[in-house]
Amino acid sequence: MDEDTIAHNNNTSLRERADTSAALLNVLSDYKEIESASNRSRRAVLNILEDLEESNTVLKDQALKMAKSAATLHKKNAIDTAILESIGDGIIVTDSKLRITFVNKAFEQFTGWTSAEVLGQHLLTILPVEQEPGIFSSRVQKILDDVLLGASFITDSSKPYYNIRKDKTRFPASTSITPVWVDGSVIGLVKSFRDITREMDIDKTKTEFVSLASHQLRTPLSAINWYTEMLLSGDVGPITEEQEKYLTEVYKGNQRMISLVNALLNVTRMTLGTFILEPEMIDVTSLIKDILIEQTLDSDRKQLTIKTNFTDSMPIIESDAKLLRMVIQNLVSNAIKYTPAGGSIDIVLALDETQAQFELSVADSGVGIPKRQQSQIFSRLFRADNVRTDDIEGNGLGLYIVKAIADNAGGRVWFESEENQGSTFHVKLPIRFTTNRQ
Amino acid sequence: MTKQLQSKKTILVIEDDSALLGAISAKLTSANFTVIPARSVDSVFSIDSITADIKDLNADSITATLAHLESLANVNAIWLDHNLIGDDDGIDFIVKFKANGGKWSAIPIFVVSNSANPDLIKTYAEIGIHHYYLKAEHRLEHIVDDIVNVVEAGIEE
Repeated sequence: MDEDTIAHNNNTSLRERADTSAALLNVLSDYKEIESASNRSRRAVLNILEDLEESNTVLKDQALKMAKSAATLHKKNAIDTAILESIGDGIIVTDSKLRITFVNKAFEQFTGWTSAEVLGQHLLTILPVEQEPGIFSSRVQKILDDVLLGASFITDSSKPYYNIRKDKTRFPASTSITPVWVDGSVIGLVKSFRDITREMDIDKTKTEFVSLASHQLRTPLSAINWYTEMLLSGDVGPITEEQEKYLTEVYKGNQRMISLVNALLNVTRMTLGTFILEPEMIDVTSLIKDILIEQTLDSDRKQLTIKTNFTDSMPIIESDAKLLRMVIQNLVSNAIKYTPAGGSIDIVLALDETQAQFELSVADSGVGIPKRQQSQIFSRLFRADNVRTDDIEGNGLGLYIVKAIADNAGGRVWFESEENQGSTFHVKLPIRFTTNRQ
Repeated sequence: MTKQLQSKKTILVIEDDSALLGAISAKLTSANFTVIPARSVDSVFSIDSITADIKDLNADSITATLAHLESLANVNAIWLDHNLIGDDDGIDFIVKFKANGGKWSAIPIFVVSNSANPDLIKTYAEIGIHHYYLKAEHRLEHIVDDIVNVVEAGIEE
């Protein structure tokens, strides 16, 4: 091989080597890029895997939380159901079409129906309701309609409605019906009720006892009354001044006892609604004047100034004279009793803006009612501390009677009072006879 | 002061409580009434009851019975309680009394009772009485004055 050939070969070899090196460099460069890309990909994959792992952890946490919530809800639901089942009152839940969706065990016991028999049935088909025994009333449907519009209803225990069982027998029930609200809409109602037959029997027995006791109490009181009266009248000979004084105290004490017995009897009758209401046409102005004349002796003895202001447009009203008299008499006699000597009493009779009711206000400058005891003033047998301290006679039944009559007549009674300043009692009653029972 | 009758009249008083019967009789007597007291419906209508305390029927018991019946025939007014001794009450008495018809049915009856039951008062008003008084709420003098006025005026029910 000549030198040129050798050189050529050498050159060729060098070029080839250079080419190879370049190629190798390129490959190396590509490899690095690939490796870099691979690294990036690996990192990306790792990142994705990390993200996935994190997501998985979050998902696991969420799944765990949801499982816990479901368990809590399930437990709460079980507790709610157990509570509903164990409640002594019958419970019925309906949808907005009054179809029964739930009843509890007490419902089954009270009515004789089983849960399976009543689910999906109309409330009034399963549990018809009468306002009085044997008397269905459209008022029952009206109450349910009102509840589905958002109102609530609770029966007065003295005037229960009567539920009819599966076997057609009936029982008086204390009832409350309330709407079920979801997202601002009424989706049904819940009716809870309790058989109050036993309570009513006890009330009846109690009333009969009080009525009998009142009658029996009056007989010896009448004997004391009449014999004392005869002694004071000198029917069996003259008596000394001192004897007259003592006998007068006996007579007055006996009169107080008679008043108490009468008040107790009235309260019992009102509590059980056994008063026979006899509506008649009444001139209220004349009635108030008559009552004031009857009280003249007491008001004169204390030198009270009594002013009256009766509206000229007062019509003849329809009411029960006996009960209306009780209301006015109690308010007027209280004002006289609790106003110190020299005080004043203002009596105002007016028609309200609707002309359907009249308002009687009796204001006095008397001892007033302590603020902390004002909420109890219409309670049975309650007497405020200040009048007890001052030994002012009373039995704590007058205002209870007034409120019972006003409530029953579709009216109301309220007052304002400041201790040592006086009290103003207002009673508003309808012009036309009505009772809540009707 | 209790009013007095101008001439003596007879009143039948049926009241179960002896203490009250004593007071009523005394007051009516002072108003110039002859009082026939009774504590049960039986004692008004039954001769057996009138003579129950007398073991043998003798001149005294016959005289007493006749006197009772004679005085009953001259009754000008009746004071009647509702609750009485025995099975019959004031309403039973009026039903029996009015069943005799004639003069007796026109005698004014004053029911004086301690029962304020509105149903009862209504029943008495329906079967025909002159007035119903709640004992504990009326002075004895007031009731006796009313009876004197009615008897004097010869008001017939």
